[in-house]
Amino acid sequence: MTSSNWIKIALAIITGIALGVIYGWVIDPIEYIDVTPNILRADYRADYVLMVAEAHQSEQDSETSARHLAILGSESPAQIVTSTLEYAAHNGFTQNEILLLQGLLTAMQTYQPQGNNSP
Amino acid sequence: MRLNPRRTILHIILALLTGLLMGLAYSWFISPVTYIDASPAILRADFKDQYRSVIAASYATTHDLPRARARLELLGDTDPTGELSAQAQRMLASGTSLAIVQPLAQLATDLRQGTVSIPVTSTSFIAVVNTPTLEIPFANITAQIDVTESIQPTLPSTSLSFEQTPLAPQQLFTSTPRPTATLIRRVDAPFTRTEQETVCNPDLQPGLLQFILLDSRRRQVAGIEIIVTWSEGEDRFFTGFKPELGNGYADFVMQADTTYSARVAESGAFISDILIPTCTDANGTIYLGGLAFTFQQ
Repeated sequence: MTSSNWIKIALAIITGIALGVIYGWVIDPIEYIDVTPNILRADYRADYVLMVAEAHQSEQDSETSARHLAILGSESPAQIVTSTLEYAAHNGFTQNEILLLQGLLTAMQTYQPQGNNSP
Repeated sequence: MRLNPRRTILHIILALLTGLLMGLAYSWFISPVTYIDASPAILRADFKDQYRSVIAASYATTHDLPRARARLELLGDTDPTGELSAQAQRMLASGTSLAIVQPLAQLATDLRQGTVSIPVTSTSFIAVVNTPTLEIPFANITAQIDVTESIQPTLPSTSLSFEQTPLAPQQLFTSTPRPTATLIRRVDAPFTRTEQETVCNPDLQPGLLQFILLDSRRRQVAGIEIIVTWSEGEDRFFTGFKPELGNGYADFVMQADTTYSARVAESGAFISDILIPTCTDANGTIYLGGLAFTFQQ
């Protein structure tokens, strides 16, 4: 086989790889189902935290609120609310919503998880 | 050695296909697309359940039905209301406390009705409301409702209106109960039995004991506890968990040869000596029927 043929074959392989990657990444990428909430888009994530804040307003149950927030990732509940507050400040959340988030932040900053301290 | 052109083309095609397979393997298995901006619609089922619970808990505070509906739509359920009801029933069956389940049922009910209703709960909320409005008849219920509805607009301006107790949430003392157009149901108004019907329908489950609870305006009421007792046990359940059959609907399946009593927990309306009735179909065959009780405030 001549070297020009080898070059053609190599080019064909490279072309094939490029087409395969384009197909697999762009045209028909793997569709995820059953994902975890830690990869929610920022606005969904912020709205979720806002819902927790709204519920917390009447329930005043820090344990439940912290548990709801925990599904958003490994950060502490207070950190999650803090980052949401930053998002809220830059994305047109109303003053009331920011107040609710601040209330939740205060609760999460003082929240102590109930551990088993028995000997 | 020289290959003929056909063979060369064949090699090129094979190389192209090999490359294509390698590219697909890389993009699907070795380094697939990583999701970083997922929508709630693709959450795992248990996380969707939690998402719904938070939506319902939020709604219980805000009573913002359009927003709750919009949030539920994010989950991509074909029947959001049905999913809420199903989740409520699953949670009840798994022993989750009613306090957690009730907001889900309430939201499902409100979505079906299209109106905001006031949840019928006896929460600790009332105990910490310490305002002069407690002297008004049924003011405890009014305060419970209005605090949640009016916190946001009144919080800044009325923060000095009432004496605050450090242990209690601030907003409970800072919002002024105000008149509301929303129906407020008197939770202490007794329910009395208004109808009793033997249900002879072979398509229904034998021994089905059905309850329908209506308020004074004959609208069905969700969230009313019913207690059914028999010699060996007791069962407690609530209206509204099968909204497809009515918001004030609840049912229980009786066993043959067992005598039951039923009571509406809130008011003590009591029916004793309940037995499965027998029915006869067109062919003269006897089968077990059911009973339907209607209670009204």
